[in-house]
Amino acid sequence: MRKKLRVRYLLPGMLVGGVAVAGLLTSGASVSQAATPPAPKAAGTVALKTATRAADNIITYHVPPSSYIAPGRTLFELNCSSCHGVDASGTARAPNLQGLGPATVDFWVSTGRMPLAVATAQPVQKPARFNRKETLQIVAFVNSLAPAAPDYPAGIPKVNLSAGDVVEGNSLFVLNCAGCHTITGAGDALSNGFFAPSLHKIYPRQIAEAIRTGPTQMPHFGPGNISDKQVADIVKYVTTSIQHPTNQGGLGLGGIGPVAEGFIGLLFGVGGIMLVAFWLGDRK
Amino acid sequence: MSALTSRSAGRIRGRNGTKATKPDPVVAGVRWLDERLGVAKGGRTLLDKIFPDHWSFLLGEIALYSFVVLIATGIFVSLYFIPSAKELIYHGPYVPLRGSRVSAAFESTVNLSFGVRSGLVIRQMHHWAADVFVGSIAVHMCRIFFTGAFRKPRELNWMIGITLLILALTNGFIGYSLPDDLVSGTGLRIMFSIVLSIPVVGSYLATFLFGGNFPGDGSIIPRLFILHVLVVPLIIFGLLGAHLGLLVRQKHTQFPGHGRTEKNVVGSPMYPTFIAKTTGFLFVTTGVLWALGGLAQINPIWQFGQYEPYKISYAVQPDWYMGWLDGALRIMPPISWTLWGHTIPFVILFPAVLFPGICFNLFYVWPMVEAKVTGDRAEHNLLDRPRDKPRRTAIGVASLTFFFVLFAASSTDVLANYFKVSLNEVLWFFRFAVFVIPSAAGIFAYYLCREMSGVPGIGRRKRAVVITRTAQGEYESVSTAPRPGDEADHEELLPTPVPARIELNGELESVEAAGSGVRRIPRP
Amino acid sequence: MSDGTDVTSGNGAPAGVPITKFDDPHLQPYAKNPRRAEMLIGAILLIGLAGFCAYGGLYWVGGQTQWEAVFGGIGFFAFGFGLSAWGKYLLPQGPFVEDRHDLKSTEPEIEAMAAAIEDRGKMVFRRRGFLGTILGAGAGVMGVVITFPLIRSLGPQPKKTFDTTNWRSGSHVVDLDGRRIHRADLEVGGSLTVFPEGHQGSGVDQTMLIRADTKDITTLPGRDTWGPKGYLAYSKMCTHAGCPVGLYQQVAQQLLCPCHQSLFDVLTGGNPVFGPAPRPLPQLPLEIDSQGFLLAQAGYDQPVGPGFWERS
Repeated sequence: MRKKLRVRYLLPGMLVGGVAVAGLLTSGASVSQAATPPAPKAAGTVALKTATRAADNIITYHVPPSSYIAPGRTLFELNCSSCHGVDASGTARAPNLQGLGPATVDFWVSTGRMPLAVATAQPVQKPARFNRKETLQIVAFVNSLAPAAPDYPAGIPKVNLSAGDVVEGNSLFVLNCAGCHTITGAGDALSNGFFAPSLHKIYPRQIAEAIRTGPTQMPHFGPGNISDKQVADIVKYVTTSIQHPTNQGGLGLGGIGPVAEGFIGLLFGVGGIMLVAFWLGDRK
Repeated sequence: MSALTSRSAGRIRGRNGTKATKPDPVVAGVRWLDERLGVAKGGRTLLDKIFPDHWSFLLGEIALYSFVVLIATGIFVSLYFIPSAKELIYHGPYVPLRGSRVSAAFESTVNLSFGVRSGLVIRQMHHWAADVFVGSIAVHMCRIFFTGAFRKPRELNWMIGITLLILALTNGFIGYSLPDDLVSGTGLRIMFSIVLSIPVVGSYLATFLFGGNFPGDGSIIPRLFILHVLVVPLIIFGLLGAHLGLLVRQKHTQFPGHGRTEKNVVGSPMYPTFIAKTTGFLFVTTGVLWALGGLAQINPIWQFGQYEPYKISYAVQPDWYMGWLDGALRIMPPISWTLWGHTIPFVILFPAVLFPGICFNLFYVWPMVEAKVTGDRAEHNLLDRPRDKPRRTAIGVASLTFFFVLFAASSTDVLANYFKVSLNEVLWFFRFAVFVIPSAAGIFAYYLCREMSGVPGIGRRKRAVVITRTAQGEYESVSTAPRPGDEADHEELLPTPVPARIELNGELESVEAAGSGVRRIPRP
Repeated sequence: MSDGTDVTSGNGAPAGVPITKFDDPHLQPYAKNPRRAEMLIGAILLIGLAGFCAYGGLYWVGGQTQWEAVFGGIGFFAFGFGLSAWGKYLLPQGPFVEDRHDLKSTEPEIEAMAAAIEDRGKMVFRRRGFLGTILGAGAGVMGVVITFPLIRSLGPQPKKTFDTTNWRSGSHVVDLDGRRIHRADLEVGGSLTVFPEGHQGSGVDQTMLIRADTKDITTLPGRDTWGPKGYLAYSKMCTHAGCPVGLYQQVAQQLLCPCHQSLFDVLTGGNPVFGPAPRPLPQLPLEIDSQGFLLAQAGYDQPVGPGFWERS
């Protein structure tokens, strides 16, 4: 009986991950497959330095086709150049995007963080402004301005979720991610207005992108630090246990632990019983 | 009311007043006990015992009954928990942990949650009951404080109550540290550092307790276990007995009112009224905790994983009742002294050791302090309305607000994240708020009390006044009749002693001692 | 009100006991409509009964946490509510009164008690004061030595355990799996939890390895060689209360401790810039060997973690 409950949460989680990956393939039908890579993408674009671990194909990296560059330029000029400059080299308001690689741009645009709505300390995830194709066009354009620097992935990662091990991902997540994102992935505040966001609404591809590109305050985890297999493990863990937690005990209360529990315990527990006491006793 | 039911009398009496052969079982039972324990006389006093009925007197019962639930669920949980830090490989139903090294304590708790029928409900119920236990003690303590029930002759009971509060806090902390999970293990790490900060003996106490430098040799888990299930509950049990015993001996206090004096107690008798209401209240408390136990998840340790000293998570507040200490630790400025080869980390020593010590000592001596300051050393069995003692109420409100601000300070990161403000600004806010807000609240409470106690008829609906103008141009004001139920002197029953015998159906029967039959008493 | 008639049966019924008539208003139930109250309470108790049955049945077929809570909760709550309502609405409403007998004893009784203690005490100690002293001394020593097994036997003395870690000159820097860290492994802006080789997972040795941009680092005096190629290593044990300082903010270049939000500046030697931490994070001096692996030049130059009395 209990095993069934476990599967009930795992299967949809894996399906979501799989659908997300499939969605990337089908909706952006013109994303080139690994079989026909354009010029910048050579074998081993994952790490442009020697990794200390054996290369693996758990994550493959893709770039959009060059036909996307021109429409991407148009979109960029309309939506991004006012802050980032026409050539994406940055202004006083926004950083230089050249050399950050396709994964960086894809992360920021597809999570809706860019275009920026309000200039706060840290951009927040919001519904993406562009659809997948438009996003890839912007990616293609920025990528065409300069090749990705060596410490950024040269392509958009596609994670092979079935190769990820949720147990390994668990221990990797606890060691590297839980400190900022909390053990349940609920997110929390960092210093000076920065914050580690919640991980509940993020796709596998975007998790890999964040790990590899270190957005805002997030550390930059290269393949020598967390290998592709380990990234896949973390993605597997996040898309299953974090995004579909085993809340067999009831309402998850936001996953922030004792703060919420105390609130509920005092309000409904003590408060609720006090209401009964108020009914039971006299008022005088 | 030692009621004589016509049913039992009929049984004894037979149809035509003839002698019966069977004695009344109730009489027989009472006699059996009385011949061995002498309970008849004292027992009747107990049955007649009066309990005042005000709703705020039930708050202590919430604490008492959540303790009962804690014991019951605790026994259940302790039948499954393995108090050992010994490592083993997890092979249970929770997939993300399979194959990882966990302690037996952690594994047995996860197993109880997933592998035992009703295990999770009862385990969570135990944890919710602990939160409610401490919460209800706090609410009950507030009632005692604001109504002045701690005054002579009840100072001892107040001090027992403070001790019970301390023990409840301690046992709660120990209890949630038992499963050896990431969040509670972090709490133990902080506890170690707190003990360490004590001058001269700190490092010794810390290594003694844990069996070495943190995390120690693993003996902390079984030690905390035996403290949690045996030592502290025994002390709580004993003190609770004393607490209730003093209550029985000194009798409960009551609010002033119709027929109530310093020399009597007005309310419901123990049997059957109070027993019915209080037993019902026990089950209501159980029901609320049972519902919480399966509807609101608490301490999902499988999501946290096994504690290791190099692991950490964010949003790791302690359980709510330790939040005031955590908040104090967060807002304390970084003061540490190093003199002549020794360090006193005041930044930890003060908020975590000295400050709670000062607080609890202030709680303990409060009855004596108030008696000295007000000069009031009389015996009090009638309670104050909080508005009648504005200084005490203001101090109480200020203290309560102070602790509440500290609680809030323990969730600086959660607040900063939720309201999207800078963490640094939130912390600075609390450093000032912890002084400003309680002062303001206390001053406000003082003037509110003064206002409320100064106005006659406050709390009652005002009567309408009809102003009429006569033909000559004079104004007359006529008070209208009060609305039904508003009459200040509406007929209220005067209290009466508990009836010893009740005449039923116009006939009074007396049940004879077993064996000698029944005598019919002539109707008066 | 009693009608004041005494019952003087002479057998088993005490004299002077008042009798109350059953229609005395104090004995009437509180409910204005007792029949209706009875029906209502009966219904509530039935709901309680149903809740218990439902729980029992659910348990029998395997149980499910949320429904167990609903049924059991409803069962207990309704059962208790019904019972309380019975007590409040259907039982005699009172109010009843009892006297508080004087708690205090009379003055002569108090004096007699005090005298009992004093007079007999004088008999005990008459000319035997020195015995009392010896007894007292014995009790005092007993009290002290009793604490020895209770406290001292629990664990080892601290000795030097807080002063040193397992980091030595030449210790390889390894991750949790024991993999030796190479200078090419971390990107600028990357972070990793590391240990001395052979002591993976050890709490006191845990260290945060960070790679910063070399041009941003402010080297403190005497630490010029401690951060080769931008690699900085700080003790992961917070100097406030010992929590692992696991939050590396790579743009602000700060380490944030999640427990009480102490902030340490990575670029200026782990200096605390905010929050309650009183001391900088101890820095581990690193070097890179001929093959490019990271090693410790030496152990930490001070005790790691929170403060304690013997820390000089």
